[in-house]
Amino acid sequence: MTMPDRIDITWIVLIGLALATILLPPLMPRPLLGNALLLAFAALKGHRIALDFMDLRAVPALWRGLVATWILTVLLLAWLASAIVVLI
Amino acid sequence: MSTADCEQQGTGWGILEDLPGDPMIWVLIFSELVAFGLFLGAFTVARAIHPAVFAAGQATLDSNLAGLNTIVLVTSGWAAARATKAARAGERQVARYWIFGAMALGGLFIAIKLAEYAEEIGRGVGLETSPFFTLYFLLTGFHLLHVGLGIVILAVVCRRAEVSGVETGTAFWHMVDLVWIVMFPILYLAK
Repeated sequence: MTMPDRIDITWIVLIGLALATILLPPLMPRPLLGNALLLAFAALKGHRIALDFMDLRAVPALWRGLVATWILTVLLLAWLASAIVVLI
Repeated sequence: MSTADCEQQGTGWGILEDLPGDPMIWVLIFSELVAFGLFLGAFTVARAIHPAVFAAGQATLDSNLAGLNTIVLVTSGWAAARATKAARAGERQVARYWIFGAMALGGLFIAIKLAEYAEEIGRGVGLETSPFFTLYFLLTGFHLLHVGLGIVILAVVCRRAEVSGVETGTAFWHMVDLVWIVMFPILYLAK
């Protein structure tokens, strides 16, 4: 039997985070914290996809930084917008 | 600089040559990320302006079906990553099997998404129902088109299954996966 490599481990992590994302919303009464957790899970999943599936782990940091910046910008904007809605 | 000079110094793509696969696919990938980013930004801003309309629209979506599609697409991405690894090891036939798996799961994603659309349209929901549904259908439809295009690209690179082609096709596929991972909680779950 072959041992799971980084690709397999990333897949298992992604499935775990996807299940957590699906199961989390009913358990989170506070939208601000719930949204922060949901979007943090998405950021983690995106980061693992970029590093291990897109294979950006071994390329210059510029490329990893660009993809990470895209992920964080989109998700942070979504969280800020939802925070404004909740707080106003 | 002559053509011969360019060939001696590389293919002329500069820092893009550090990325796996054909550099041209990365120009496309970064362009698509910008387009999806602007689209998602527009959705976010519209949501902040019409919170009640967006909450009502989101409440009617089937987040379990979309969650299932997340698992399907992530697993498809895993199969694509295994295909790249097999191609790099010189195992072309194995790479083809993994690409077939990735394509089949991509097809399943499309089938589930179309079933979701059919249910929504059956309830009388459409592009003009509300600003939420206009952006929801445009965003998910645009993404669905990319899933279809990704399957076509995978089918093309599957034929020869050589390293550069497989890296190129799977890089695009992972971009489609990445966009869905970010889009899913924003559209379906974030309150």
